[in-house]
Formats: sequence, structure tokens, C-alpha cells
Amino acid sequence: MASPVPDRELKKGSAELMILSLLENRPRHGYEIAQLIELRSRGAIRFNVASLYPLLYRLEKRNWIRGRWVEKAGQRRRRYYRLTASGKNVLSKQRAGWREFVEAINLITGIQRA
Amino acid sequence: MPDFKVEIRARLAEVGLSPVREAEIVEELSQHLEDEYERALSCGASEDEARQQVLEQLNTPDLLRRELKHVEPRGSEDPIALGTERKTNIFADLQQDLRYGLRTLAKNPAFTSIAIIALALAIGANSAIFSVVDAVLLRPLPFKNPNQLVMLWENAAHLGFPRDTPSPANFLDWQKQVTSFTGMAAMSERSFNLTGLGEPERLEGRRVSANLFELLGVTARLGRTFVPEDDKPGTHVVLLSHSLWQRRFGSDPGIIGRALTLNGESYTVIGVMPPFVQLPGFDNRNDQLWVPIAFPAEEAAEHGNHFLEVIARLKPGVTLKQARAEMDTIAARLEQEYPTYNTRRGAVVVPLHEQLVGEIRPALLILLGAVGFVLLIACANVANLLLARAAVRQKEIALRLALGASRSRLTRQFLTESVLLALFGAGLGLLLALAGIRVLRTFIPVTIAQVETITIDGTVLVFTLFVALVTGIAFGLVPAIQGSHFNLNNTLKGGGRDSGGGSKGNRIRSLLVIGEVAVSFVLLIGAGLLIKSFLHLRNLDPGFRSDHLLTMKVNLSEVKYPDRERRAAFFDEVMRHVHELPGVQSAAVAGNLPLTYNGDSMSISVEGVPDPPPGQQPDVIYRATGPGYFATMGIPIVRGRDFTDQDNGDSKDVVIISEKTARQFWPGQDPIGKRLKPGSSTSNSPWREVIGIVKDVRQNDFIASPKRQMYFTYRQLKNIAANALVVRTSIEPVSLAVPVRNAIWSVDKDQTVADIDTMDHIVAQAVARQRFSMLLLGLFAALALLLASIGIYGVMSYSVAQRTREIGIRIALGARRADVLQMTLKQALKLVGVGMILGLAAAFLLTRVLQTLLFGISATDPITFLGISLVLLAVAILASYIPALRATKVDPLVALRGQ
Repeated sequence: MASPVPDRELKKGSAELMILSLLENRPRHGYEIAQLIELRSRGAIRFNVASLYPLLYRLEKRNWIRGRWVEKAGQRRRRYYRLTASGKNVLSKQRAGWREFVEAINLITGIQRA
Repeated sequence: MPDFKVEIRARLAEVGLSPVREAEIVEELSQHLEDEYERALSCGASEDEARQQVLEQLNTPDLLRRELKHVEPRGSEDPIALGTERKTNIFADLQQDLRYGLRTLAKNPAFTSIAIIALALAIGANSAIFSVVDAVLLRPLPFKNPNQLVMLWENAAHLGFPRDTPSPANFLDWQKQVTSFTGMAAMSERSFNLTGLGEPERLEGRRVSANLFELLGVTARLGRTFVPEDDKPGTHVVLLSHSLWQRRFGSDPGIIGRALTLNGESYTVIGVMPPFVQLPGFDNRNDQLWVPIAFPAEEAAEHGNHFLEVIARLKPGVTLKQARAEMDTIAARLEQEYPTYNTRRGAVVVPLHEQLVGEIRPALLILLGAVGFVLLIACANVANLLLARAAVRQKEIALRLALGASRSRLTRQFLTESVLLALFGAGLGLLLALAGIRVLRTFIPVTIAQVETITIDGTVLVFTLFVALVTGIAFGLVPAIQGSHFNLNNTLKGGGRDSGGGSKGNRIRSLLVIGEVAVSFVLLIGAGLLIKSFLHLRNLDPGFRSDHLLTMKVNLSEVKYPDRERRAAFFDEVMRHVHELPGVQSAAVAGNLPLTYNGDSMSISVEGVPDPPPGQQPDVIYRATGPGYFATMGIPIVRGRDFTDQDNGDSKDVVIISEKTARQFWPGQDPIGKRLKPGSSTSNSPWREVIGIVKDVRQNDFIASPKRQMYFTYRQLKNIAANALVVRTSIEPVSLAVPVRNAIWSVDKDQTVADIDTMDHIVAQAVARQRFSMLLLGLFAALALLLASIGIYGVMSYSVAQRTREIGIRIALGARRADVLQMTLKQALKLVGVGMILGLAAAFLLTRVLQTLLFGISATDPITFLGISLVLLAVAILASYIPALRATKVDPLVALRGQ
């Protein structure tokens, strides 16, 4: 069947997890994050500018990510976000939680099939 | 490249950001859009198409504005300060908080009404009780410098009267010798028959020293008060009370100088007192008039008759201790001078306020404490409600934080909401209190307070406001802090709905409920003890049968009936008429009915027994009765016989004694035929032969065990008057009230008949104070139980909702309905159990305070504790049952899907 469009609710709940994990390895700016999400989900998940940035600001206020204006030679300045220490902490907890949740779902749907 | 900044700025306009922050956001978002534009171009779109595509992102109706503005509720005009820490005007902030708080409360009518009602009940109860405390304990007495006023008593503890009414001789000696007081005045209760003005009326009043009103600092409204010249025997002047003047004389301004017939004699009215003048004394008598005490010579020399009430004012600079020391010295001196009368009689000085409220203070303070507990429980409930709500408002809180609101601002916001709730609750509570006071007034025992003075006055309003503020902060603080520091960990665990403040929030809620259970347990135990004690009291045998008994006071005027023969003739005639009335089983003449009067006593001597040393003569309470009294009252005659018509002035003097008296004076012997007489064996009174022994009767008050008693027949009494009638009826006693009164009036139309009452009612009144405490404490305990059950229900409901996913999984994994029920109930019982244990411990400590109000049971009565525990357990199980049932109905699929 065609790849299902994720439920809005699910997208909301997992948005933070996605962003945090994308920042795990290196700092990125907002457009980059949006592109990566669309790319890696093969177009299934797209973030609107109007939903993405308020989310980034929220994460920033919680001190899970930190944003900085960076001016690279020859480019206009852009705002880069990086993961903080507490952000890293949260990320691993979220990952575990998500894993459990998915397992639980699988268990149930698995039993029904059998 | 199109200018996207303009588009973005337009959509940010209504968010109300600060210029700096807005510029930042505009820059960042415009870069994103520009990148999108370039990409669209590189995918082959035309410039216009690319621009359209990009702007589509911003065109989702208001999305950007909404997401950024999500903090403010719909339709709000207030700008959100994004990322600023400006020190704005405190008042503007407060105004904003108030408006926002009101809006939030209005948007959740269910929550708001429950919270306000719970608070109204609790705060209202507090205000009502406080108004009583204010009127009785706190308000200063309506006299000049009331803290200088004291009452003086004789200490005759060895006779069972630690505060005995002084005798006139002692009073006059004290007055002559003392220096610690600016003045001393005496009062003596007196009733007057007012005749010559239509229906004869019996009025309560007092004989008072001429300097009394001056001593108290009270001046007359009309005319004047007494002067020293008035205080001589034969001066017949009278002061009227304000209510008497209004009621009987239509507030006639020309009343001064008018002559009134009191007790057959003419008195001149010299003044009218201001309203609500009430003199202190044994009970809260409502004096209608006052005459000078004017001791005649024999009375002034009276050492053995104790009946006065004495007030004095301390000289400025003299302490209570000094006054007491001086009185002790004077009493010792008098003991030497008059060994017959004053041996072991000391003097007691009691501050006036202490005298008036000392007895009722413990009960009132206990009630105030109880109602404070109820308030605590209500606070816990509302705090729980707020915590639950804070959980639901997570998103709002998160966004506000994200957009720059400081935690302290948020906390302040929530506190404002709480205080608003408390103020609304207090407002409604005051209305409830007004109604409650009206009800309270009707059954507050008269001995406690002048009921008219219990109102919601300025003091009560200030108290209520204070309680509201403190309450609002108390129950609001924890949810406010909790809410603004919401635990993100748990928010993330499940996303959205069931992250109710997380495990820390849960712990707080559980603690609150445990506290509620503990506190209501204490209140319930208190109420249970009082109820049991009251029932115990009511079941006491008064020694007589109080049913179907009609009573009334018939005070004969000394002028009209100066001697025994005329009094006897009057009563004989009245008895003849009364016995003829249909419905009358028996009737008798009586004196000082049980439970209506403290009881006069006299010392006696027993024939053949040498007089004990002075000061050790036994005191016996005496009563005048007539033939048939014991049968009418239902008092069993244990040995011998009752008085008959043949026991009169010409036959030998007789007396009937109570069992206790018999045991005391003739232990192991048969008293019948033995003799006793009033006073010492050498006194002039005649020896009286004991002709009968009757069962002890509870006379003075219900609680103390009966004292020694003896009875005379009115036909043989020269000086002691019978002053009442008792009638045993076969029908409803009240229905004979008018016929009996008419029977009396047919003999003497000017005779006053007062205090017509049934004995049942008198007995009920005797325990009015205990009933009052019991009813109120019971009411508060019930209220506490209700609030606590709501608390338990709330917490369990919430817990079930929270654990929906877990329950769903369990059921999916094979758990049965019964298992889920059990699991939920177990959780509830754990909370209740801990609460009960805490409550038990607290109850053990606190109920000692109740001991002064208890009768016949101990403050740690195990049966009561057990019974209440079972009741609480049952109610708790009931309260948790419905949520538990709901838990069993969880559909696993819905549970897991619908987060």
C-alpha cells in the first residue's frame, strides 16, 4: 500500500524527537533541518515554516538546543542550532520512550494477527 | 528575489513582539523562504509560481500567527511580550493578570463552580463561627475600662461552692476594709410583679447598689441613675430597661416621675437605661428593671445567707495579684472575727471578662479549630483541582515559556487566579454565613451570648478577607510553582494528555488526599465522641419523670401574702381548682424546680449529734413543696410517706430527706422518726421529724451528681416561699397551660404566672450547651467527610485517566475486570489507609482538647475510634468505586490509540 501520511497527532508528538536527533551530530540551521526531515522521510513528513520555527523556539527556551547567529565568509548570517547537554539527555530518554511505545504497539497488533 | 520580509512582518503584526525580537524572527524566516524560493526555481518553476509556492506556506490560515500567539486565548487583545524582561508597571501586570485570570476561570465553568462552592462552604463556616467568637470572646464589654472590672466571690470550696455568692455582711465588711478598688457594688436577683397596667406581668430585675452604674460607667438614656441617697430602705425608685420602656410604655418620653405598682408597692420611675445594658452575673439574665439594694438592718447583718453578686473596679495601678492578696488578708481577718460563719471562707477575685466567657471559651475555640480543619480540607481539594488543570494547560504553559514569559510571571499569574477563586468563594461564603448565623441564633443556648450581638460586622469582614487571601495563596502556591516548572520528562513520555504534571505532581496530589483523609478523620472522631457523650448525658436518669409535666412559676407578692396562712390559703384554693380540670392527673405546689435554679442551701444540725466545729456544718439544699409533689414529679418515695394536708402549722414540724442526706447523717440507721433542724442545735428553729426518704434528684445541673437535699411543706414554712406549680397531665401538657393559668387568676386576678414550660423542655434546655457543640461539630465533620470523599474521588478519577494506557495494556494482556477493579481499589485504599493512620495518631493527641466537653466517656474511647474508622473506610471505598468501575471499562484499543 502507499506510504501512509502520518497522523497529525503522531507528527506532533514526534516532532521534537526528530529535531533533536537531527542536531545530535552537528549544528544546523532551520532550513537544513526541514530539508533533512523531508529527505529522510522520503517526503512523508514535511514541516511548514509556520510550525517549524515556533517549535525550534520552544526547544530553545527549554534549553535543549541553543541557537546562534553565525556569519560565514561570503554568506549572510544564519541562525544555527546545536544540541545542549540536557538536550542530549532528553534525546536518549525520548528515543527509549518511543522504542517502548512502538514495541507495545507491535506486541498488540502482532498478537491479533496470530 | 521577492521581499518575503514584508509578508512575514504582516503576519507577525498581531503577535505583539518587541521590535528586536521581531526583527530576528523576520530575518530567520525570510532566509528560509528565500531558500525555498531558490529551490522551487531550480525545480523548474517560474518566478511567479515559485513565489506562490513559498507564500503558500504562510497562507495556512493564521497558522504562523496562531502558533506564535498560542499563549493567548482566542480573541485576546493583549500583546505578549516575546523575550523581554522589561520591568513593566506592576499595576499593568496585575491588571493583565486579573483580566486573564477572570477569563480563564470563566472558560472552565465546571471547575470554577466546584472550586468556588467548596471554598464558599468552608470560608462561610469559618466566618459564621468567627462572628460568634467575635461577639462572645473578643468584643470588649460595653463598660468603661472593662479590664479593670472584677467580680468577687466567697471561696467555700469545702462545701462544694468554690465561687459562692457573698453574704450581705461580708460584702459590707469587704467594702469598708478594702483599698484596692475604686468602688464595690452588689447585686441581687429579684423578680417583680407589675400590676395595675392591664395584664399582670412578672419581670426579672435586680436590686443593685446605688453606685453600680457609675462603677460600670453606664449613664441613663433618660432621667438619671441612682445616687447614694436612694440606697436606703423604703426608697422606692426604679430604673427601667430600654426594652421594657419600649414594649410596655411605648417609649413614652414622659415616663420619668411616673408611679408603677411593683409587688404591690408604688415605685417612682427615675430613669431609663440605654439599650442592651446587661449586667454580668450567673447567667445572661435580661434585667427589665433595677431598684436600689437598700439593705434593711437585719439583712445587712446577715452572715449566713449567701445570695449576692459583687462587682468591683480596680484602682488604676493596682494589679489583680495585689487585689487578690488584699482580699485574702481581709477574708482571714473576717474569719477570726466571725468564726461561726466565716471559717474557711476565703475570697476570690475574678476578672469580669474571664467570669463571663471562661466557661464557654473552650467550646468556642474547639469549634473554631474544627472549622479551620474544614477549611484545610477544602484548600487541599481546590489545590488538587488546580494541579489537574495545570496538567491540562501544559501546551499553553510551554508556549508561553517558549515565547519569553518568565517562570515567576507565570507563577504570579496562577497565584492571581487562585486568589480570585478564593475571593469569589469568600463572597459567596459570606452570604452563606449570613444565612447560617440566622439559623445559629435560634439554637444558641441563651447562656452563651446575647444573640442579637452576633452579626457580620467589620471585624468579621476583615477576618474573612484575610482568610480568603491566605487560603488563595495556600492552595494556589503549589500548583502555581508546579505548573510553571512542569516536568518535561513526563510530558514527553506520552505526549499531550496524560502527562499530568508527572510523577511529582502525582505525589503531591496523593499527599494532599492523604492529608484530607487524616484531617477529616480527626473531625469525625471529635464529632463521634461528642455525639456519644451527648447521648450518654441524655440517658442519665434525672431522678424524676419529665414527660407530661407542666410547670410554671407563681411568685407571691410579699405585700399581698405576707404570712404563711395567707400563702397556704392561696395555694389550697388554686390546687382545688386545678385538680378539677380535665386532663390533670395530679398537681402540686413546688419551689425552685429541678434544673431551673442552683438551689438554696442551709446548714443543719442533727439531733443527738454534737455540732461540728464552725465552718464544717454540713450544707443541705432545701426546697418547699406541697402534698403530692413527689407523686406528680415521679420521684419515688423510698421509705416513709409524703406530706399530707394534715401537716400544717398546727401539727409537728416535718421534713422529707433524700437518700444521700439519709446516708450521710444516719449511716446504717433508719432516719424515719429522727430529727434535724436548720442552723446549729442551739438555734431557735424547731426540730423537724423525718417522715420520708425520697430518691436523689438531679437538681442544679444535669451533670453534677445530686447534692444533699431536703424538702419542707409550704404549710409549715414561715419564711421560705413555694413559688411554682407542677401539673402531671394525661394529655399534651401545653394544652393545659391556659386552663391552669385561668385557675390561678380565678383565685387572684393580679397574680403573675411566669415561665410556663414543660419539664421535657426544661430538661432539654439543661443540656442545650452540649447539644449545640455536638450539632455544630457533627455538621463540620460531615462537611469534612463530604469534601474528603470528593477529594478521593477526584484523585482516583484522575489516576485512572492517567493510567488508561497501562490499564489498556493489562486488559489486552489478559487481565480480568475483577483484577483491574482490585488494582484500582487497592491503590485507593493505600492512600486512605495512610491517611487514616496519620489521622488516628493526630486524633489521639488532639481529642484530649475535647475532654472538657465530654461526659461519661474518655477522649480516646476505643469504640468510637473503631466505629468512625469503619465509617471512613466505607465512604472511601464508595468514593473510589466509581472511578474503579470506569477503569474496568477501558477499551484497550481506544486506550492505546487515543492519546
